[in-house]
Amino acid sequence: METTITPGKIDVIAVSGAIDALTAAELIAIFHKHIHDGHPDVIADFSQVEFMSSAGLRAILASVKEARSVGGDFRMANPSAGIDKVLKMAGFHNIVKIYPSVQEALASFGS
Amino acid sequence: MSDYVLLTDATQFISTNSATLLYNQLTVPSLQQITHPAKLESLALFRELIQDFCQDINVEVLYDIQLAVDEICTNIILHGYKDMEPASITLKLEFDPAEIKISITDTGHPFQPKQPPDINLHATAEEREIGGLGLSFVFMSVDDLQYESTASGNITRLLKKI
Repeated sequence: METTITPGKIDVIAVSGAIDALTAAELIAIFHKHIHDGHPDVIADFSQVEFMSSAGLRAILASVKEARSVGGDFRMANPSAGIDKVLKMAGFHNIVKIYPSVQEALASFGS
Repeated sequence: MSDYVLLTDATQFISTNSATLLYNQLTVPSLQQITHPAKLESLALFRELIQDFCQDINVEVLYDIQLAVDEICTNIILHGYKDMEPASITLKLEFDPAEIKISITDTGHPFQPKQPPDINLHATAEEREIGGLGLSFVFMSVDDLQYESTASGNITRLLKKI
């Protein structure tokens, strides 16, 4: 798994590869560091995530709670069909705001 | 009658001149088995084996199998060998035209996977607890799950129709 941060009015963190029980801990650390580094609003671009287990959902839930606890929000953009299926299986469309593209996620923040 | 159909199919198959396809048909094994240490780094290796084994299978079925195996193996790695020296996990895949049979063998503590209560699909982030989704995913992703604790270890058998 790799992450790339694109700074902007709202920073976009692009995630690629697989999010499993090994890599989810690393992802939580990256998201949380960013949120507490003065960026309470975050967009996670999931277009290049090839696989995600329940460990990835825990990372998303923890990051949503973390961002909201400091007055921001953690939103997702562009999950692939496989990832979207996992999100739907777990009812995550009620937990995190998910947009079809980064542009739409950016617009949702009023940027 | 069935011989005739088979012969016809074979003739058509060869007449397409797909030498590579024919080669694959004859050489891709219908059974694969691999053993890796019971540690989180092995999860990616098990996923790779499944991907290689299921090359010609619908990507949704492939994803379901990878997800179910990943969740079972994660449970074994994080909980099965608790307070024990971690040993290994063996993954076996068997292919037949209608289904894929998967078995996962470990020598950790016995653990009978049971179907958890339904996920509350309407809960908000604040109402959700972190954790507990893995086993739900296993039961949602495969068509059957059988568990057996034997003298030589635990065997979790999954079946996925294709």
